[in-house]
Amino acid sequence: MKENSLLTAYQEQPNIWDEMFHANRIRPEYRNFVAAIENLPNAELARKDELARKLFMSQGVTFTVYSSGEGIEKIFPFDIIPRIIQHAEWLHIEAGITQRLKALNLFLKDIYHEQFILKDGLIPATLIYSCPQFLREMMNVKVPHDIYTHIAGVDLIRDSDGQFYVLEDNLRTPSGVSYMLENRSITSRLYPDLLPKNNVQPVRKYPELLFRNLLDLAERHVSAPTVVLLSPGIYNSAYYEHAALARLMGIELVQGSDLVVNNHYVYMKTTKGLQQVDVIYRRVDDEFLDPLVFRPDSALGVPGIYAAYRKGNVAIVNAMGNGVADDKAVYCYVPDMIRYYLGEEPILKSVPTYQMSDPDLRKMVFERMDKMVIKKTNESGGYGMLIGSSATEQQMQEFREAITQDPRSFIAQPIISLSSTPCYLNGVLQPRRVDLRPYALYGPRGIDIVPGGLTRVALQEGSLVVNSSQGGGSKDTWVLGPEN
Amino acid sequence: MLSRVADTIYWLARYMDRTQAMLQVIRTHYHASQDSPHEFSWRPLLYSYGGSLTLEEVAALERNTPRVLERLLLDKDNPTSVYNNVLQARENARAVQDHITQEVWQCLNSFYHAIRGGEILEQIRFGDPISGIDGLMRHGLVFLGAVQNTMPRDESYGYLNLGKQLERALQTTDTLRIQWANMTTQAQPDTEIPQLRYLVHSLSGQELYLKTYRGNFNPDSVLQFVLHNAYFTHSLRSCLSRLSWYFERLKSDSLPESHEQLAFLIGRLANQVKYSDVSARNAQQLDEFLLHIRKELLGIATALGKNYLGRS
Repeated sequence: MKENSLLTAYQEQPNIWDEMFHANRIRPEYRNFVAAIENLPNAELARKDELARKLFMSQGVTFTVYSSGEGIEKIFPFDIIPRIIQHAEWLHIEAGITQRLKALNLFLKDIYHEQFILKDGLIPATLIYSCPQFLREMMNVKVPHDIYTHIAGVDLIRDSDGQFYVLEDNLRTPSGVSYMLENRSITSRLYPDLLPKNNVQPVRKYPELLFRNLLDLAERHVSAPTVVLLSPGIYNSAYYEHAALARLMGIELVQGSDLVVNNHYVYMKTTKGLQQVDVIYRRVDDEFLDPLVFRPDSALGVPGIYAAYRKGNVAIVNAMGNGVADDKAVYCYVPDMIRYYLGEEPILKSVPTYQMSDPDLRKMVFERMDKMVIKKTNESGGYGMLIGSSATEQQMQEFREAITQDPRSFIAQPIISLSSTPCYLNGVLQPRRVDLRPYALYGPRGIDIVPGGLTRVALQEGSLVVNSSQGGGSKDTWVLGPEN
Repeated sequence: MLSRVADTIYWLARYMDRTQAMLQVIRTHYHASQDSPHEFSWRPLLYSYGGSLTLEEVAALERNTPRVLERLLLDKDNPTSVYNNVLQARENARAVQDHITQEVWQCLNSFYHAIRGGEILEQIRFGDPISGIDGLMRHGLVFLGAVQNTMPRDESYGYLNLGKQLERALQTTDTLRIQWANMTTQAQPDTEIPQLRYLVHSLSGQELYLKTYRGNFNPDSVLQFVLHNAYFTHSLRSCLSRLSWYFERLKSDSLPESHEQLAFLIGRLANQVKYSDVSARNAQQLDEFLLHIRKELLGIATALGKNYLGRS
């Protein structure tokens, strides 16, 4: 199968699932794509790589790194070889995420109301009450349509057995969806005709679906409710995404200072006076949302917005207090939640997770730390994490001390070897590790998952960290349609 | 439209017009420094655009033309430098990208990259500063053209023009007042005062002035020209009449009481300028008049901020 030099040079790695190759043969979902590129002269791929870079730069798809007081705009590294997922596999992922999201949403409703799951002893109450993201302010707050997790970006990884595992649920303000849309539009320019020929399912409906869901949440009986996107502002690293989503949905992009609360209603300040706001898609974290209730020093939020929300005068997306459901120590109870609330067996697997507050497990983890990933329960973005296989003895010792001092804030998981996929780097195909983040939208009409997602790549050789803040990049993700 | 967005767009236009005005003044001054080095000083410009410099710093700088130019044009530590103006304009544009056209954004972006690049510094230090300044001014002109040709005639366009006209009126008032105060008006009535020529130059009015007054530079004509000439785009009269015109167009997008208040302020000032009878002979009266105009302009800016741009 491998005749082209580009492909023959590619080395599959032992004990790692490769997305494109299996025992030196090309997997069926990639055959069409490989057939289209294998006869291209090598210079052509280099040209495509260059074209992708130019398109990203000229369209201003950047994230901003602020150093020495001056903003430097960087492009999010993009790899031109798409990651391809079979239709049947996608149906499995879709069903798994839908099930998980339903259960997590019921969990949030339960935990902020009757707390049956605690009373039935499935989850220890101390675990919930010691979670900093559990907001007492959300107790008995009625949220529109009982939906908390309107937007979720579920991180999936594939282990060497070829199975997908859920790594994180990201139920607060998941980002990256604009890159999913951008990557697709760039790929369609790089490989003319290949998308339709491969029967790749489109992702462009995402903004439409999101906007429809946001409109559905408006309580006021007016023909055109006001929906806004609340951003922390241009200094936020994801500002590009905020602006892009607002533009794609045709809604106002606002900052905290644009909004004002009067008599428990939220208004935006316009040149024509105050205009009532019905739905807020916020990209500001809970703790900064309302300085009267949460962090008093927050300049990003809107004083009084919590009270307006509690009264039901404004819908906020995602709901406040979701962090308790994606706490890494609560994560290991999600399979139990699925059984408890839905009476079903989990479709997607979870990574085995050890609570460090359990002394026996702690002892076990300390003994074989080199085979573990240690994570802080309330951090994300690849921070506060130790990968045992590549850590020094000193780093491990530091983590042991930190864990002993505050065991509740840590969990350990066995190292999952993320699957790898070919990336076009320095003119050759090289294996790099990837994960997958599909975006699920939960609205009053149900759950929609756009077929695709963001495939993040760890661009460092051998690295398992895919986060953009830690030197990660991304690829377009093709979900193939049903075969006919 | 969101008040913050209107405010950002309005300031974007103000920064850009200020940039053009500064570049023209600096360019004219540089010319003057080459023409008549003995009577020439960079001091007024260092006071206006140099940031907070001490007397010693000014004295150390003023004889070194390339360093003065660097300070005024490119110095990142000088908050009033052209560089910082462009930077601010671009930051503003970035914050409201969805309310300006791609073309407008792109020309601001390339202006920013041009002023950051090393070429302009080379020209100031070793080459021809005029070419450097002209290169920057061309970016400013491209911006104006992009606004004119690509922006839809909506509220954004209105606030861009309000900012532009208000800033221009302020720049004209300030340039006139500062340069008049530094003029040796006590010269013989029939000898020409070189500063008058520079003043008209600084306001980009030389060609029209030459045509209108057949090259006769005398204080009364220059004052008449700068205050009242209806064809001169930088005259106070035309700035104010266009300010009023663009403001009227915003009426349907305004609260009636806000609109009424602003319309009153703008109309009053336009008439004060139109029916003024200040004389070029009475320097003190002129200075007071210009200070009064300045105060009124700032009053309009404040009222606009309060009623439209969400500033309290």
